Amino acid sequence: MISASGLAGAGLVGIGLRAPHLAEIIATPPPIGWLEVHTENYLGGGAAPRALARIRSERAISLHGVGLSLGSAEGLDRAHLARVVELNRRIEPALVSEHLSWSSAGGAYLNHLLPLPYTEESLALVAAHVTRAQEALGRPLLVENPSSYLRFQHSPIPEPQFLAELARRTGCALLCDLNNVFVSCRNFDQDPAAYLDELPASAIGEIHLAGHARNEADGHIILIDDHGSRVSDEVWALYARALERLGPRPTLIEWDTDIPALVVLLDEARHAEAAIGRCVAARGSRAVAA
Amino acid sequence: MPSLREVESDLRLALLGGDDAPARAWIRGDGLAPAARLAIYRHHVVTTLTAALQAVFPVVCRLVDERFFAYATDRYIRVDPPSGPCLFEYGAGFADFLAEFPPCRSLPYLADVARLEWAMQRALHAPDASPLPIRAIQGVAPDLAASLTITIEPSVTLLPSRYPIDRIWHANQTAEPEPVNLADGGARLEIRRYGDAVVFCKLEPAAFAFRHALARGADLAAATAEALAADPSFDLGSALVTLFRDGLPIALGHTPPTSGGAPCHSQP
Repeated sequence: MISASGLAGAGLVGIGLRAPHLAEIIATPPPIGWLEVHTENYLGGGAAPRALARIRSERAISLHGVGLSLGSAEGLDRAHLARVVELNRRIEPALVSEHLSWSSAGGAYLNHLLPLPYTEESLALVAAHVTRAQEALGRPLLVENPSSYLRFQHSPIPEPQFLAELARRTGCALLCDLNNVFVSCRNFDQDPAAYLDELPASAIGEIHLAGHARNEADGHIILIDDHGSRVSDEVWALYARALERLGPRPTLIEWDTDIPALVVLLDEARHAEAAIGRCVAARGSRAVAA
Repeated sequence: MPSLREVESDLRLALLGGDDAPARAWIRGDGLAPAARLAIYRHHVVTTLTAALQAVFPVVCRLVDERFFAYATDRYIRVDPPSGPCLFEYGAGFADFLAEFPPCRSLPYLADVARLEWAMQRALHAPDASPLPIRAIQGVAPDLAASLTITIEPSVTLLPSRYPIDRIWHANQTAEPEPVNLADGGARLEIRRYGDAVVFCKLEPAAFAFRHALARGADLAAATAEALAADPSFDLGSALVTLFRDGLPIALGHTPPTSGGAPCHSQP
């Protein structure tokens, strides 16, 4: 398995490293296995990449990209890919991930992980981009399932099958964001557990957990993936189900808006560690019984 | 069935161009109208880019208040969206946009305050560079000194303004700003990163003209001429010592000996 080897020796649960916590994490390193950062925040010079290199000397880092725009019909931004490759060379991350989405069109970067129609055309294009990125990085990518608020009229391939086929064609791993699974499935009246069961277990190398908001639009409840609260009970239940099927996987607590004190993220991480502990214990007792 | 390129182009038009009719045709209703679904995405694009600009231009935001700032950035994002995914690089054109934005006409200093904040943002994320020691210039042959060019450290911006933008900036770092008299006159600022901190200081007219010329690629002869025009008592020797002491030069070069486009200098 790709991801476990990259985190050998570290705990399986990490948290997203965000600017308000940077000084505290450097001054008092928290008891956490690894840290994930958004690649694009560290592609300049100055204090930010220096701080990241310093943290990297003490613990594993995951580089989570939001800007490669793997689904852009106008092609990959080669200059951006080169910057990402250079940061990977310096940081030597345990995990490298990106998204099944697009963000750039007509020379503009829209700062959103925008949805793709799931067609053969999209699959061929994303697969070519994943392959090119993996060749440039010299290692497999983890590709994350998006959260969605719209579906296209013509999108014949179900999302989990699209991801499974992408992994088969390119050798990429999957980053299964369980909050995104929950948000998208609820927004389209689908069953999150059934979605999860459709993903190829052996390809899943990382799990993301985050909170979401419930908004009302024209009298219709829509879940928004805002990473602005604790992980919901339903997503914890989905996590327990995923662990039961997959076994322990590197797991990240993400929080991006209304960022609370670091201790809150660490508390969420404890919940995830406890769930992994229960999963390992249950598997152990099943092994003994067998 | 549209191509992926058409779908993405139409979504871009819906999110930034103000026309979501073409994109709506590709989207399933599923109980919520396509226009409402697109509005969710548009809201995210505009609010996150506005927040990114607010983080870079906090003094501009304070001078115009948050609601007007959101109105201005909403317009700006549509005419000059980010060209790449590193948001710390977004906002280079915001000052020029404000300078031409009719509702800001009564605040003539606003665009220059934005230029100062952009220069600070550039400095914060500029590539790291190693300063040259002063002995690097001591080895230059005297007959080549006039055509010498000095590459200035990449975090540096030299910013002239007709308004006291340094005082406006400082006043807005406190809860109760002291009034700033615009009639107090302009400022010639040097903005840079020093260690991990971004700093700016006022320069005298000759020092500013000298460094500004070097930063634009002028050779020593041309930069000296500009400095002397600003102040006839300009002293090249002490200006060079100060320049190196401040750690600004990172590379030396020469203007081509007979190029018509180069600043004039003496050559045999």
